Amino acid sequence: MIDLFTDITEIANKDGNKVYDIFFGPNHPGMHGNFGYVVDMIGHSIAKARVNAGLLHRGFEKIMETNLWHQNLSLIPRICVVDPDPNEAAYCGAIEKIMGLEIPERAKFIRTITLEMSRMTSHLMGMGSVGGATGLYTVMYLMLADRDRLLDMFEWLTGGRIYHIYNIPGGVRRDLPKGWRDKLYGLMDFFESKLKEYDEILYRHPIIHKRLKGVGVITADQAKKWGITGPNLRATGVKFDTRKAYPYAAYDQLEFDIPTEKEGDALARANLVRAEFEVTISIIRQALDKLPEGDVNIKLGNPLKFKVPEGEAYAKVESSKGEYGYYIVSTGGIKPYRVSVRGPSLPAGLFLCHKHLPGMRIDDVALWMNTLQICAPDFDR
Amino acid sequence: MVGLLFIGLGRIITARVQRRIGPPFYQQFIDVIKLLARESIWHHWIMTLGSIMALGGLIATMVHVPVAGWLPYDSGGPIFLILYLATIGYLGMAMGVSASGNPNAPLGIGRALSLMLGYEIPFAAILILFISLTGSSSLTEIAAMQTGGFLSWNIVKFPLAFIAAEITVQAMMAEKPFDQMIAPSEIASGPLVELGGKFLGLGMIQMAVAIYFETAIMVNLFFGGGANIFTFTLKQFGVYTIAILINSVMPRYKIENAVRYIWTVPLALIIIQMLIVFLR
Repeated sequence: MIDLFTDITEIANKDGNKVYDIFFGPNHPGMHGNFGYVVDMIGHSIAKARVNAGLLHRGFEKIMETNLWHQNLSLIPRICVVDPDPNEAAYCGAIEKIMGLEIPERAKFIRTITLEMSRMTSHLMGMGSVGGATGLYTVMYLMLADRDRLLDMFEWLTGGRIYHIYNIPGGVRRDLPKGWRDKLYGLMDFFESKLKEYDEILYRHPIIHKRLKGVGVITADQAKKWGITGPNLRATGVKFDTRKAYPYAAYDQLEFDIPTEKEGDALARANLVRAEFEVTISIIRQALDKLPEGDVNIKLGNPLKFKVPEGEAYAKVESSKGEYGYYIVSTGGIKPYRVSVRGPSLPAGLFLCHKHLPGMRIDDVALWMNTLQICAPDFDR
Repeated sequence: MVGLLFIGLGRIITARVQRRIGPPFYQQFIDVIKLLARESIWHHWIMTLGSIMALGGLIATMVHVPVAGWLPYDSGGPIFLILYLATIGYLGMAMGVSASGNPNAPLGIGRALSLMLGYEIPFAAILILFISLTGSSSLTEIAAMQTGGFLSWNIVKFPLAFIAAEITVQAMMAEKPFDQMIAPSEIASGPLVELGGKFLGLGMIQMAVAIYFETAIMVNLFFGGGANIFTFTLKQFGVYTIAILINSVMPRYKIENAVRYIWTVPLALIIIQMLIVFLR
């Protein structure tokens, strides 16, 4: 595909057609986040594309080596603003593996609940952004307003709306406040009742179908070859989910299905997010039903003096965008020796841009990016 | 002034659909005054000329559109002259923003001109229907033919033509699903991308003038004009409200799909309406 459009660029140059650059981000309304693609255009179509990254690069992994173990908890959620909790859970999971800790059952369930709530906030933004990219701003506003209800719950539980810093090595920071559980039950009923509205205004809209169908098709083989994970992988028909394949938190005690789609295009990815949203509601309800009594963390002493024994571990968590993996090496000190993060946005945003963007019209770039759920800070780190 | 007021009220209606409060109805006036008072960055003298040509073309169009049967001078509201002058306005905008040098602007202009090719055909068919019925291309006379109450209005007599015209006017106003020329998430607001200060202020006035005369044409064609300026403006606002409500629940077509839709659905509706009228 790339060669084909390189040829077209040459033909265009030969014929005197002008090839021009468009900076699709960071300063572009179709781009969310401080990130972008520079696209060579011929008329309305893209001839070549390259990633314009680095604008959000903060050197997360290097900074983590200079921080205390607990200090990093306030840094890692920033790797994915929209869905921050999986980063916390993966980081804490790796530390707990090195320490050989088994966190209390109640903590496992609370982690599961907050991880799924975080997935819901991300999916609401993802579904809304499909509306935003196609000009259907009503969907975007409605979904962001609904998302605020979840952020209220997070604020009540953790004190933070976006960055929760709730997971700690050994469990979670505090127990559920009084009345929080009942309120969350009510909220799940609310979201279930909203699904019909989402379907009517977004998922059954014929223009949305027309816009999404056939955009950015990935086959199952390509997805596996390029390391695509999460909904982007499942939209190609591969039934793989870290929550089932390598269970963590309380997922092994819950019953849920893994939705898949076959086509691998933007429409399949959008529909999959809708299906996963429904599954998430069911997971949260089950976790709330089965929530055991007991402690929510293991007391590990003064966080300023907290040490992790020598060792290394890899922990992974299924986020709304795909698999987050944390590889941590400890030398037994008060700071990590090495923290390496494997996020889902790099393969999707880097490899697929060379595969999909050449030949695509400028009309579809924002949609393509939104349905792939490329998270700019995760890409740049 | 009326166009700016409509935009302000339209923003509140859209906000209510989206469960927001929205800006105050006079926000558009504040914005235009603020922008006109600002210094402007311009890239070429053609940009200035194009902006003035666009506004001039649209104002020239506006003075030929009868409001409740009234015109600044007795031109009778010649519909073909109105369409011709309106095109000058759009071409002025195309010329001005293309000189800005930003590639998104000509992309938007290309889409606007493609869309214009689309909606002019069904709109011309609608006009042919009314001209053949009234024997005149004067908007004043077309409106005068509808006197005698609600049942005499063309919206009642020719409902299919009205639906076709509504779709066409939706495209003329660049409201969704036909806002390809602006499309912020695709071409960064297209023609508006490089406009700032006075240029953007003039652009907002152009938009207001366009809304004013497009809704006025609809009121004259289908709603019997108006007994006075107040009822006329109220009917105009009704037309604009329909456009805004459709806009708030529709995503955007791709340009080729938009043109294909306009060339099929409204054109088919008007042809059916013509067959009903002429074969009866």
